[in-house]
Amino acid sequence: MADDREVLREVWEGRLPVAFSLSSDEVSVMEQPEPYYLLVPRQSYLTLVTDKVQKHFKTYTDPDKVGEVWFEYEGQPLKWHIPIGVLFDLYSFSSTLPWKITLHFQNFPDEELLGCRSKEAIESHFMACVKEADCLKHRSQVINGMQKKDHKQLWMGLQNDKFDQFWAINRRLMEHTGDEPFRNIPFRIYQVDKSYIQSLFRPVTDDGEPLTLGDLLKENLPDIIPKIDACVTQVIIQGVEPPLDTPIQWLSEHLSHPDNFLHICVLHETDDR
Amino acid sequence: MADAVGWKRNLRKQLRQRNRVECEYFKELINNHNKIFEGVDSMRTQNVALQIQVERLKQENLDLNLKSETSSSGNGGGGKASNEKIQSLEQKLFKLQEELTEMHRRKGENAQQLIDVSHELQEKEKLLTSKDTKLTETLFQLDSLRNEMKHLEDSIIEKETAYQLLRDEHQALQLACTSAEEKLRVAKEENTELITRWMELKGKQAEFLNFDNEEYHKKQRAKLKQDLKEAAETHVDIKQPKIRPQRSGSQSMQICYQAIIPTHAHYKFDAHDGEVNAVRFTLSGRICATGGADRKIKLWEYGNGQLILKGSLMGSNAGVMCVDFDSQEHHVLGASNDFASRVWSIADHRLRHTLTGHSGKVLAAKFFGDASKVVSGSHDRTLKVWDLRSKACIRTIFAGSSCNDLVTSEAAGSTIISGHFDKKVRFFDTRSDTCGNEITLQGRVTSLDLSPDRTMLLSSTREDSLKVIDLRMNQVISTCCADGFHVGNDYSRAVFSPDGQYTLAGSQDGSVFIWNTATGKLETRLMKEHHSSVVAVAWQPSGAMVISCDRTKKAILWSDI
Repeated sequence: MADDREVLREVWEGRLPVAFSLSSDEVSVMEQPEPYYLLVPRQSYLTLVTDKVQKHFKTYTDPDKVGEVWFEYEGQPLKWHIPIGVLFDLYSFSSTLPWKITLHFQNFPDEELLGCRSKEAIESHFMACVKEADCLKHRSQVINGMQKKDHKQLWMGLQNDKFDQFWAINRRLMEHTGDEPFRNIPFRIYQVDKSYIQSLFRPVTDDGEPLTLGDLLKENLPDIIPKIDACVTQVIIQGVEPPLDTPIQWLSEHLSHPDNFLHICVLHETDDR
Repeated sequence: MADAVGWKRNLRKQLRQRNRVECEYFKELINNHNKIFEGVDSMRTQNVALQIQVERLKQENLDLNLKSETSSSGNGGGGKASNEKIQSLEQKLFKLQEELTEMHRRKGENAQQLIDVSHELQEKEKLLTSKDTKLTETLFQLDSLRNEMKHLEDSIIEKETAYQLLRDEHQALQLACTSAEEKLRVAKEENTELITRWMELKGKQAEFLNFDNEEYHKKQRAKLKQDLKEAAETHVDIKQPKIRPQRSGSQSMQICYQAIIPTHAHYKFDAHDGEVNAVRFTLSGRICATGGADRKIKLWEYGNGQLILKGSLMGSNAGVMCVDFDSQEHHVLGASNDFASRVWSIADHRLRHTLTGHSGKVLAAKFFGDASKVVSGSHDRTLKVWDLRSKACIRTIFAGSSCNDLVTSEAAGSTIISGHFDKKVRFFDTRSDTCGNEITLQGRVTSLDLSPDRTMLLSSTREDSLKVIDLRMNQVISTCCADGFHVGNDYSRAVFSPDGQYTLAGSQDGSVFIWNTATGKLETRLMKEHHSSVVAVAWQPSGAMVISCDRTKKAILWSDI
């Protein structure tokens, strides 16, 4: 199991180099400010890690017009409530690094993005995801058995990027008693320009045979397998392409994001190029 | 499993690749970038601050220039002369000021010196006064010392006179002493002379005594010779008695010439509460003792065809296994399961001795010698010989097996014969330490009895037979057995009749068997009276009666009347 622990560590260590730049429309001083480079954790959320960036760019914009901050990549507004890694995999998986993101302080696109007034909003969204996932996995038994300080520790672990602090609690959420697997796998399948797919999926057949990633995809996107075989479609989780015969239970335990969901990105070649 | 490992390895490889491409390549770059960024930021703010300072300084400079210009234009050409005057005055002022300070300084110094000098003066005065006081003190001391000296001189003179007196006395005493020593020497000489004379007299006296003794011996020898001669002349006719008296000293010894075979139960009674383990008559046949599992020994007296209870002897802490009388009929001996043997006196029923020392049940105990000794055999595989006068164990014999019964025989030279659990009959001489002899039988030996003429030994064994052993040949000369005869216990007893003609034993089924000793033929079988295993039997010394005891309280007196 030391291997699995190492996998968890590798997943946690995932970072993305990002070049933030201020939207040229919003620059109020003479010179265009330099882009701000930052390594951001894949597991985290955009608004959570960009305090410095915002502070830096605020000096270059008109202070009267400063509203809520939002991000955009090649004209696509980025939803802050989706983990950074998933956003990258979905929109710019094969683009060159560093990832170029444009920062806006004005004209918040209300119809496309949720408002994010404070860190508490992110925390409550994160905890809602964890609870939903545990409801799917253990009928909420584990999360309800925890104390308030355990919930706090989960959040602080993520916020401060502390692997041990986070996994001390998260381990209990990922446990399955004996040979009994999760009741359902909490997952979301993202595709560009489509809303995500989420359904109930048991990790084993009625006979107790473990099911794989391929089985899951087949059930939710029936015509996907031949496309994958023809290399027209890619399935990305945590920035890698897992083999289709990977057991879905193992994937859920090890490649889930901190919100306990398995975020699966399905990329069609036509979308990309 | 290999499959599983395949996907896992693939995943790990991809993850590592991901982290390398996305993270490690950029880590340092971005770090450096951030550092430079921060550096630039701080530089910028510094720069702004510096610029502000420069501005302010410029402004100040301007102000100053303005001021100086206005002041210089105001004072104009007024007084160069006054200027010079002022300068000289200033110089004077300066000089005077310097002088003043110098004066001040000196004044200060002088004051300081004055203070120092007065200080010194004070100290000296103090010193002087202290010296004066010291001087007066020493003078006083000198006076007192002189007085003391005078005193001491006086006392010395006194002492000298006393000393003279003592010396005279001493000389006188020494003279007395020498004269006394002289006297002592003379007395000693006298003493030695007297001693030598006394010794001489003693020697003479001894000679006289020796002579006397010799005379006496001679006379006695002569008398003895005379007696022997007379004795040799008289003729003595010695009759051989049919049965030798068994033990000496009994007041009313009953000698049996013919034992009578009993035919029916004559008297039945309950002897003890529980098993009756031992029964024995005195040599006179008057008194019978029984020992039971109820921890008592009971004494019975025969009269009017009945046994009348004379008394119960208490003291044992466990069941009594064996009883024995001494030849004088003064004492009764009981061996008990509480590892001890006890001796009671018959006359007053009091416990006399308790012989403790065995570490197992004592299964047999007998008087021997002149009833001052007891030998006991125990389950602890030893025999012990006790001296009743010193109340101590005088010898322990390691027999090697649990001893079920033993007999003693003075006729065979103070021999102890013991019957053992390992099927052996062992012979021990009380006067030597070695085990003399042993005979192996077919079964565990449960009891031993000597015939009245001390030539035959009866032993009962667990293989359901009685063996008669000739002690002179150490051989089994006859075997007594019968249908229905079973030896019930390891401590079932069998006995000879008082004339030695018959052997008697009780069986497990409650019947009593009598055999002919010489032929081993069954003489009679007394049945249907006992309802449980018969443990002990005894033949009355007169030969007329037999008593048998069983495991359920009963004792039965059998006779032919």
